[in-house]
Amino acid sequence: MTPRTWDIVGKRRWGYAFSLLLIIPGVIALIVNSAAGRGALDWGVDFTGGNFFQLQMERSFTTGQVRAVTDRFATGQSVIQKAEQELLIRTRPLTPAAKSGLLAALRQQFGEVTVLREDEVGPKIGRELRNVAIIGVLIGLALQVLYVSYRFKSVRYAMAADIALLHDLLVVVGIFAITRKEVNTAFVAVLLTVVGYSINDTIVVFDRIRENLAMRGREAFDRLVNRSLLEAMVRSINTVLTTIMAIGAIYVFGGTTVRDFAFGLMAGITVGAYSSVFNASAVLVDWHQWAERRGRRSRPQAPAESAVAPETTAPPATNNTPRRRRPRRR
Amino acid sequence: MRARLGVRLVIIFILGLAAIQVAFRPLSFVGRMPVFGSPALRMNLGLDLKGGSLLVLEGQDTPTSQATPEAVDAAMRVIEKRIDQLGVVEPTIQRQGLKRIIVELPGIQDPERALRLIGKTALLEFVDTGAQSLPEGAHWSADGKTVVLPERPGAPQPPGQTGATRSLPLAKKVILTGADLESAQAGFDQNSAEPIVHFKFRGKAAKTFEDYTGANVGKYLTIVLDNEVISSPVIRDRIPGGSGQISGGFRVIEEARDLAVLLRGGSLPIPVEVVENRTVGPQLGRDSIDKSLRASSVALLAVGLFMALYYGLPGLMAVFALSIYLLALLALLSGLGATLTLPGIAGIVLSIGMAVDANVIIFEKVKEELRAGKSLRAAIAAGWTRATTTILDSNVTTLIATGVLFLLGSGPIRGFAVTLSIGVLTSMFTAIIVTRAFVDAAAAAGLGPQLARLAGRIAR
Repeated sequence: MTPRTWDIVGKRRWGYAFSLLLIIPGVIALIVNSAAGRGALDWGVDFTGGNFFQLQMERSFTTGQVRAVTDRFATGQSVIQKAEQELLIRTRPLTPAAKSGLLAALRQQFGEVTVLREDEVGPKIGRELRNVAIIGVLIGLALQVLYVSYRFKSVRYAMAADIALLHDLLVVVGIFAITRKEVNTAFVAVLLTVVGYSINDTIVVFDRIRENLAMRGREAFDRLVNRSLLEAMVRSINTVLTTIMAIGAIYVFGGTTVRDFAFGLMAGITVGAYSSVFNASAVLVDWHQWAERRGRRSRPQAPAESAVAPETTAPPATNNTPRRRRPRRR
Repeated sequence: MRARLGVRLVIIFILGLAAIQVAFRPLSFVGRMPVFGSPALRMNLGLDLKGGSLLVLEGQDTPTSQATPEAVDAAMRVIEKRIDQLGVVEPTIQRQGLKRIIVELPGIQDPERALRLIGKTALLEFVDTGAQSLPEGAHWSADGKTVVLPERPGAPQPPGQTGATRSLPLAKKVILTGADLESAQAGFDQNSAEPIVHFKFRGKAAKTFEDYTGANVGKYLTIVLDNEVISSPVIRDRIPGGSGQISGGFRVIEEARDLAVLLRGGSLPIPVEVVENRTVGPQLGRDSIDKSLRASSVALLAVGLFMALYYGLPGLMAVFALSIYLLALLALLSGLGATLTLPGIAGIVLSIGMAVDANVIIFEKVKEELRAGKSLRAAIAAGWTRATTTILDSNVTTLIATGVLFLLGSGPIRGFAVTLSIGVLTSMFTAIIVTRAFVDAAAAAGLGPQLARLAGRIAR
């Protein structure tokens, strides 16, 4: 036992509160964005169809000037961003004539313009990519949920892991809603990777809980979970640190093209590690205690002392372990 | 797994050398003579790294023709001919589904021009317009019965603005088409020095041309490309030999050259529309390679330093194992012919972070065993055994995610899925086998106390 023991499980309400604090602004942003009619998320050309240009400008420019030029050729609201001498323009689908007109007009006003990158997605392809993305995320989620259920053979553990997973997805989507970063096919890759990572983290923590349960002494469930968390903590922190260091290098040095991608991964991996320590295990403890209270209530004949009995007299370990065997047919 | 330590180290050493050979090919054979070259990474680079265009074209149905698979195949052959003339190294053209054609043009310098050339139907028609001369830019309606005249002759119409246009009824009476041409060359007119396109009809068509021009002296023979008038010259005399020239409408010689390219390749049997275009300029491609190389080395350095500082000697060994991991990963990607994309590099870097995870899990378990009072060797053995299950199992979730991405994603995203999944698999191998061999070697070399500091760090 370390002299100072951090009571994470005891303070789990704070964990829930902090999670709500993370989720609620994102949800509000999603609602406000859709109410303002600009789309809950900033859908990129991958999903809406349209044109995207990443241009290198020779002369100085302002987004206002560029917007004035762009609006002559593009219908609807265009997105114009400036990153030093790079200009990013996103428009609704342009006709070939409007596209060459736009580039010519930019060259006329701002001199040399180098096309660094250009994406053109027809509305039909946009719809297809969107469907594929939705199907992909759903299949990915379903497979993970299946795997977790299989892995733990216990509804309780699987549900706790899935709640943490949902939490992570909500936070990442919320962050993209608040910052209005572009949501494109790369974002789908972010979501799926975060899903995998979040579950991975939760599994390592839950594994530790199960290991400890197997050699459990007279320790209360919440104490045992707390001990497991502390034991798994070093690993969680170190892994998050090294992963964030690695992907942070891409964020800082990788250039505009992958910056949002790296940003999403960093956010998701951090949140994933946080939730597997502070949420997934907390849900497990709360569920356990709730089930115990219910169990006691459904035994009206029980002697009065058992209602206040310490948890060491709680049902035998098999009730908590996911290794409970169910009859299986083959 | 109780193979002799020496044997394990030798095998790892040989594998490392083999990986270097596969990935960088420093040693090649000319006949039987070994030649040492300067090592360079052998890797297929995606279009987002070497620059280039990915185009998806879709065959369109018209009132007169259907976009059948046969028609799309025929269109593919025409597009292939046109691309050959663009001078693209290793283009790929393939059909996707029933109506779509995917064209990949690596390293293309002028994607705008490629798009103009590839997407154009390029149906050239020689039309008998009798005594009627038509201005450049006039175009026929789809049914070929009326001609819409441009607002001001020669001025291109502003986009999205129809305005008041004049039209006149005039049936399109086609004499010959571009399919009857034998050759087409761009050049300059000898008198006016204007850019022109020389053309020559083949056999029978040449005779038709000669007869027609002979019978219609003083009338107009209008040259129409994709329903739009290029020029409308008057026939001054019978033209023998089937040769002629198209002038007018070319502002620069390149435009004439492009038309000649189109005419030589033939017209598309059906119109195609560009439904997707992803182009990365050569400048950004180079830039991305430089930037991601820098990012990767920073990532590796940061992670390596962290491991060495936090875990001491075993951490340093994990870093060694990590370099072998990187070598093996590059060799696998190179050997499998995988394509490296920008998100793919991010996947490699992410997998570096995850590769460390495996080592961290192992070290933490060894630590516990040491604290439980086991001897160093017993702790190492027990730690590894316990960690192996955890590692195997926690990586499955990442593999599920990358599997879905690989099946449904395309291009760059698929590259991410490939590098991340191969990375995760390779990292399991290096953490479980390679780091173990190093740590065992250190224990055998009497570095036990240094290794045991692993446990000391927590006891403090």
